[in-house]
Amino acid sequence: MNLPFAPQEIIRWAPLIVALPFAVGAVTILGVWRSRTASMLLSAGTMFYCFLHSLLILLALQQDPSLGPAQTNWDWFVSSSFRLSMGVLVDHLCAVMMVVVTTVSLFVQIYTHGYMREDPGYSRFYAYLSLFAGSMLGLTVSTNLFEMYFFWELVGVCSYFLIGFWWQRNTAAEAGIKAFVVNRVGDFGFLVGIILFLAATAGFWGQHPLLIFSDPQGFDLAGAIRYAASQGTLTAASLAAISMVMFMGPMAKSAQLPLHVWLADAMEGPTPISALIHAATMVAAGIYLVARAYPIWLTPDGSTFSAGLAFVAWVGGVTAFVAATIALSQYDIKRVLAWSTVSQLGYMFVGLGTGAYTAGMFHLFNHAFFKAMLFLCSGAIIHHLHHAMHVDKETRKKLDEVSLMDRMIPPDQDLRNMGGLKQYMPITRWCFLVGTLSISGFPFLSGFFSKDEIISSSFKYQGPGHDILFWLLVVTAGLTAFYMFRAYFLTFHGEYRGGGTPAAEKLSVINLPLIALAFPSILSGYLGANPEALKQLLTGAAPTAMANAFAQFLYFGHAPEYEALNGGVMLTSTVVSLAGIGLAYLVYINKLPVHTWCQQNLKPLYNLSWCKWYFDDMYMAFTQKLALPVFNFVWNLVDMAVVDNVVNLSSFATLGTGEALRYSENGRAQWYALVIFGSVAVIGLVYFLAQPLS
Amino acid sequence: MGPEHLLTALLLVPLVGTFAIALSPEPWARQISLWLGAAMVVISALLLANFNPALAGMQFVEQVNWIRWPFPVDYHVGIDGFSLALVALTTIVTFAAILASKTVGETRPRLYYSMVMLLTTSILGVFLSLDLVQFFVLYELELVPMYFLIAIWGGPRRDYAAMKFLIYTFFGGIFMLAALLFLYYQLGQAGAQYQTFDMVKLATVSPLLAKQVQLLGCLGFMVAFLIKLPSFPFHTWLPDAHVEAPTPISMILAGLLLKMGAYGLVRICMGFFPEALVTLGVGLMALGAFNIVWAAMACLVQGDMKRVIALSSVSHMGFITLGLGSLSAAGLNGAIFQMVSHGFISAALFFLVGTVYDRCHTRQIKEIGGGLARQMPTLFYFWMLATLANLGLPALSGFVGEVTVFYGSFMSPVAMLPAHHTFVHGTIIFACTGVILSAGYMLWLLKRLFFGPEQERWSGHLTDARGWEVAVASILALFIVGLGIYPMALTSQYTPVADRMTRDVQARTTISLRPSQVD
Repeated sequence: MNLPFAPQEIIRWAPLIVALPFAVGAVTILGVWRSRTASMLLSAGTMFYCFLHSLLILLALQQDPSLGPAQTNWDWFVSSSFRLSMGVLVDHLCAVMMVVVTTVSLFVQIYTHGYMREDPGYSRFYAYLSLFAGSMLGLTVSTNLFEMYFFWELVGVCSYFLIGFWWQRNTAAEAGIKAFVVNRVGDFGFLVGIILFLAATAGFWGQHPLLIFSDPQGFDLAGAIRYAASQGTLTAASLAAISMVMFMGPMAKSAQLPLHVWLADAMEGPTPISALIHAATMVAAGIYLVARAYPIWLTPDGSTFSAGLAFVAWVGGVTAFVAATIALSQYDIKRVLAWSTVSQLGYMFVGLGTGAYTAGMFHLFNHAFFKAMLFLCSGAIIHHLHHAMHVDKETRKKLDEVSLMDRMIPPDQDLRNMGGLKQYMPITRWCFLVGTLSISGFPFLSGFFSKDEIISSSFKYQGPGHDILFWLLVVTAGLTAFYMFRAYFLTFHGEYRGGGTPAAEKLSVINLPLIALAFPSILSGYLGANPEALKQLLTGAAPTAMANAFAQFLYFGHAPEYEALNGGVMLTSTVVSLAGIGLAYLVYINKLPVHTWCQQNLKPLYNLSWCKWYFDDMYMAFTQKLALPVFNFVWNLVDMAVVDNVVNLSSFATLGTGEALRYSENGRAQWYALVIFGSVAVIGLVYFLAQPLS
Repeated sequence: MGPEHLLTALLLVPLVGTFAIALSPEPWARQISLWLGAAMVVISALLLANFNPALAGMQFVEQVNWIRWPFPVDYHVGIDGFSLALVALTTIVTFAAILASKTVGETRPRLYYSMVMLLTTSILGVFLSLDLVQFFVLYELELVPMYFLIAIWGGPRRDYAAMKFLIYTFFGGIFMLAALLFLYYQLGQAGAQYQTFDMVKLATVSPLLAKQVQLLGCLGFMVAFLIKLPSFPFHTWLPDAHVEAPTPISMILAGLLLKMGAYGLVRICMGFFPEALVTLGVGLMALGAFNIVWAAMACLVQGDMKRVIALSSVSHMGFITLGLGSLSAAGLNGAIFQMVSHGFISAALFFLVGTVYDRCHTRQIKEIGGGLARQMPTLFYFWMLATLANLGLPALSGFVGEVTVFYGSFMSPVAMLPAHHTFVHGTIIFACTGVILSAGYMLWLLKRLFFGPEQERWSGHLTDARGWEVAVASILALFIVGLGIYPMALTSQYTPVADRMTRDVQARTTISLRPSQVD
């Protein structure tokens, strides 16, 4: 295929992809916001350009792989001892990520036009969307760890803006703070990890830019690790420790245990944001970081059997399971999806952690499309029901009261108010079904390919507790199928349980993006399909082909990785998933009273799921009942009582007459005269005393 | 007038202004001081244009002998990249503060603006002085206008706050004076030819003094500067002074006055007494780290929004102590950046606190109750920006200093000493928890002021930013964003100086280092 531009030129202009959204965000805030149409066109138009450009980059790299990695670095802070730089790196990994980010961003921006049309903050929303896109793309093209940290925090703050977008709501404001502070805890670890890593590789960098990911001359992370290992400043144990500390960053950003608590609350933000930031792109940044800085997580000699990766795999595996159990009992449609995101991100970490680099990134790629679509579907439902339930003010108020007081969920997001929507919203229903099947790992949809690859890599995995990890993932696959179909059946099947009557759905700017995203949700898995490998599997021949064609343009190290298909594992996980779907059918369509039975006979387990394993309660108790009161007490004791009094007392005593003088108006002048003459006197006296005695 | 007299011109503008305003009619005072403020900004721009950043020495030097007996005192000014950065900061923040004095300056404008000019003279003088006695006099001169500015235009407890400020600072001044004379006397012991108050010469001769002498001298100066900085346990004057001071004066106090202490620490404690700093480095780092966390913790339990910002200043000045104590090039570079960046950020924050106070007439966060965003959307944007800058968000200036200080202190030669290794690294990781706390208290403050449903008692009573308020906030925001995106604009001016100073100190470290790890 011929590209319309020279491949070198396409890559040379890559910085535009980052710069333009920032510029658009800035001008929108500074004045363009006055025109809603201009804000929207500028923002969405830029994103369309970024989308095309990223696609061209991907194609250019496909055509001529020798073009990557290409990078440019600019000095940002230079002193004689170090050089921090910012730059743009273009390679396969980054190109894939850029395509994901720009595609989802583009569709979300189109969708926003429909979803936020009546909101007074419409233009502001577009400005934030642009700023987010710029930050996320900046993170994607980062040439070094430091730059990634820089944009890492910027995407975090955009997320904060957008979660708290409806600032009138206290819950939204609190969720925003929670997201930012929890992420700050992660960033603290990220920062400490970077500094520890720098300290261990101190003599290596010289005047080269610090912490570069890849460099033809070898002044990059891998080179630094080799050097430090040869110098003895870095051992396998210390590298593993550094990687674990640094992993706090991905833990927070990608909502992994125990820093996962912010993501469900982040659903307070408008739904387009949940789709873009809290499902498809930003939360995947943690996976991207681990993939980018993979050498740090390996052993110093480059093996994937490292303690660092084992930690990643285990955090991911446990999170995948815990989040799936929580999703079983939630009633807020957005939160069900949020917990499923947490769970799926866990899968991706297991992929990276067990050495299946390609599979982890592949799942990120597929998940971005179907999860974005699922969220946009939920938005369409919420939008639709919002209008349906608004029969008149009284009904709406009653609904609001019941929902918000007793259930803490807005009525239009509550699964208990839905049901039977398939007849009112056929387009959304089919899209949602595609997404649900895909995430459940239904055969031959995109989620099936990547998820099975991760499960099979956990099967092959030889690290600590590999059997448990494998079964954990298989069980989670079953749970995933169950809770996703639970949400699907509760929403679309049975009788409508909410107030008012929903209108019939029309083709609109809200459901067009859903249809567009349904295609990659079905098909993106085939990018990784390799007929050769399938043939070998079916004929029972010894596997020689690469299982995942995706690996052609996305691999770590110098050759595409070899990840064979495993028929047994595929069969196991597929059967478990189908069982999950079947169970959901029995419970929610055939009305098997499993739900009430669980509530009555498995109360503690049900509560564990319902109360999200009590993480929030523990953290709240820690800050509200312990940390703040202790701070208050200690501060009052030390600062107000001891320090202030001791220092005040001594100084007031030293300058005894000060107190008396301050009460008279004239006193000020006198006091000042005293100070002047006093100091002159002291100068003279000390000078006299200081004379040599001779 | 050629560039060689620029510094004298810069000092004369506010000094002449002090008297000119005092003698002019009341309604002219604001106009005159605005023009003078603009003139100072122009002069500092000229300085920047004529400055050669490649040189680590003093430039634009002017020296006139003033007193010969009993000791020589000169009028001696000059700047290097480090002082230039602070001079530029001073002129810009002063201009912003004058602009922000619109309402405060309505009572007794002549006296008010004249005092502001005197204050500016003193601050600029400190950054420009190359004679130690002149430095001391100008350093102490600041007390006079500051005392009156708080005591006349301040809040309800202004007398107490002004007196407390005076006593604390004066207490420090005595230590500085004693140290100054001690230094002069000790140099005399070494030989009459060494006896001088010339700061350029002092930087070369005083490092030759015996270690014990350096230690004593350094401690004397250090007490004075740590009080001004301020640092635990001398920090309690700051919240009181800030809470009572009027808004523009808080801007100057946090943005500029604190930097005098920081400047002294670097120029004098580090420049004159490198040997002492090698000993005191670990202690300074620990003190800095403690300040960062302690003050951040205190911010979480304040009920008064101005106190939160004031204590957050203490926390952020801890970065300077930490970076300085690390004795590493990155640490010092970061500390200097932090001085400038904090100058803009704290000025912006105090100004914004002032805008809310002007409208709600209370500083108690509980009484304000939230929901201000509805009636004050523009100010909300500026608040958000300043808040994020203060919590160290990348692309805003606060981030640069913090990150380089952390990096520098971790790579510090002090930490290479086996006895200190674990302690120093532990200290820095402890200090890093400050980034979590600062996010917590700043966002919580923002939430309690601006987020949430509109309060009934404020509806219809509040106005959004007026023209001059937008101007003040925009000036400061411009620098906060600009320095955050491209810090090289500033660092390229002072890096040679900072690098040379740390090299000098490190040359004296008795710690044996692996050559590859010297930072």
